[in-house]
Amino acid sequence: MQAGLQTKETGPVGSLEDAAEPLLELRAVTKTFGEVTALARLDATIARGEFVTVVGPSGCGKSTLFNIVAGLEEPDTGGVLRFEGRSCHAADLLGQVSFMPQRDLLLPWRNVVDNAILALEVEGVPRQQARAQALRMLPEFGLAGFENQYPHQLSGGMRQRVALMRTFLFERGLMLLDEPFGALDALTRAMMQRWLLDVWQKYRRTILFITHDVDEAIFLGDRVLVMTARPGSVKLEQVVDLPRPRRPEIVTAPEFIRLKRILLEAIEEESIKSFQSATVREQTS
Amino acid sequence: MSIDSAALSLSSRGAAGRPAPWHDWMRKAVRLLLGLVIAAVVWEGAVVLFGIKPHYLPRLSAILAAIAATPQAYVDGFLRTLAETLIGFVAGGAFGVLIGIAFFRLRALREMAFPIFVVSQTIPVIAFGALVVLWFGNTLLAKAVIAFYLTFFPVTVNTLLGLETVDPRQVAMMRSFGASRRQLLLRLQLPTALPQIFVALRLASSLSLVGAIVGEWFGDTTGLGVLLLQAMYTENVVAIWGALLASALLGTGFYACVAAAERRLVFWSAEQ
Ligand SMILES: Nc1ncnc2c1ncn2[C@@H]1O[C@H](COP(=O)(O)OP(=O)(O)O)[C@@H](O)[C@H]1O
Ligand SMILES: [Mg+2]
Repeated sequence: MQAGLQTKETGPVGSLEDAAEPLLELRAVTKTFGEVTALARLDATIARGEFVTVVGPSGCGKSTLFNIVAGLEEPDTGGVLRFEGRSCHAADLLGQVSFMPQRDLLLPWRNVVDNAILALEVEGVPRQQARAQALRMLPEFGLAGFENQYPHQLSGGMRQRVALMRTFLFERGLMLLDEPFGALDALTRAMMQRWLLDVWQKYRRTILFITHDVDEAIFLGDRVLVMTARPGSVKLEQVVDLPRPRRPEIVTAPEFIRLKRILLEAIEEESIKSFQSATVREQTS
Repeated sequence: MSIDSAALSLSSRGAAGRPAPWHDWMRKAVRLLLGLVIAAVVWEGAVVLFGIKPHYLPRLSAILAAIAATPQAYVDGFLRTLAETLIGFVAGGAFGVLIGIAFFRLRALREMAFPIFVVSQTIPVIAFGALVVLWFGNTLLAKAVIAFYLTFFPVTVNTLLGLETVDPRQVAMMRSFGASRRQLLLRLQLPTALPQIFVALRLASSLSLVGAIVGEWFGDTTGLGVLLLQAMYTENVVAIWGALLASALLGTGFYACVAAAERRLVFWSAEQ
């Protein structure tokens, strides 16, 4: 069923990357928490420089997937995890992947610069050097002049940009962003999306990006992974062939609408499943 | 008036987000002084006006005159008690934080030792003091140990409480950066616990003074507790009040220092 739904096309980037080794490869990755199976035989491949978005019903295991790739959770035995061509345990990935959790999680006793350099500091970069590096990056993140402000003095959008800057400064091959704009209002979010694309295009990092917003998934991604209801696996892998740089108007383009229809249909199917299994659980318990 | 100045200082801190500027600080100091002067005048005036017997409440001026007559006894007593209090407070605070961290990290240790700590705190300080004097004699150390005994427990409990409020998502984030346990502790867990630790330290600042004074009652020759006891035996009311004022000065001064340190170090918690 999975193969039938896959609409794998080889785009201009795809053909190049297929020859090269993928950055991250997950084969039959399963994760259970006691009775609950969060992920079941999930397969995914991420190429270098790719921007891959992940959508799926809530509770389907998206954050669990990220926690595994960030090294925070070990998957069940039997699956294969390969990073930069080498087979590895999840724990080996601690400190190897730049992870931005669902909330900004800024430390209230650190100002903007010191929050941004947190990961660098943990890595052992001298504070002065890390601060200088962060100060150079501030304007690009729309934070010029705010270096000495504390988190409680910032708006939600700015806090999110500080968290993103912290993630960007921690230069790793792979960036994991878990619903980074989920808590923002629609206008700020649209601005942040365009801004993220600009920064991504400049730094050319590989990004894996969770969202519950289909428009966002298409607007940002080279590829969209739709996950099944729990236990989560990849239901559909949709290549987004829209030209870059992408303008905001693109959301009304026929191609965009076509992709959105395909994705919505797949997500709808899974949402109903997850809703039904939730009601069944309620009735039996 | 004092409420007004409190509200003023709050709003100015909130808006600027940093400590009040210099002239603001001056204004507060002047108001505090004014309040003290008014209280002194009311005290003096009430005693004279209502003809209160010195046995119940001596005139403030009489007390100050008595202190001025033998200042050395008060200065020595103040310094001695301050030393006992400080040593007990610093040792109790440091020990409390360390044990709090140990309890946080080693669940087994907590389950073994925590009940013993609780039981230790149910021993009346008088009984404990008698033991300490048996062990250490009438030394400065004995008083510091009693002050320590009263301070370490609240600090332990609050350190543990504070460490347990750490957001597990923040821990996960730090771990994903590759943070070691030491880095986790110093960069995340201890700062998070700091507001809670300071709540206990403020309490401990008062308790350590109580410990030092009670300790002196078991026998010594200098200290504010000694002055109090001597004045009580000789029924010298003015001297009792003198020792009381000196203790109050020490207690408030110490508390104010701890609170000032808190405002500097935990600047963020008032703003959230
Ligand atoms: N540490 C954990 N312990 C137990 N259950 C967990 C844990 N983490 C996630 N789960 C469960 O796994 C499922 C997937 O969760 P999650 O990955 O957070 O979903 P999503 O991010 O897609 O909303 C949920 O049912 C959740 O309750
Ligand atoms: Mg999630």
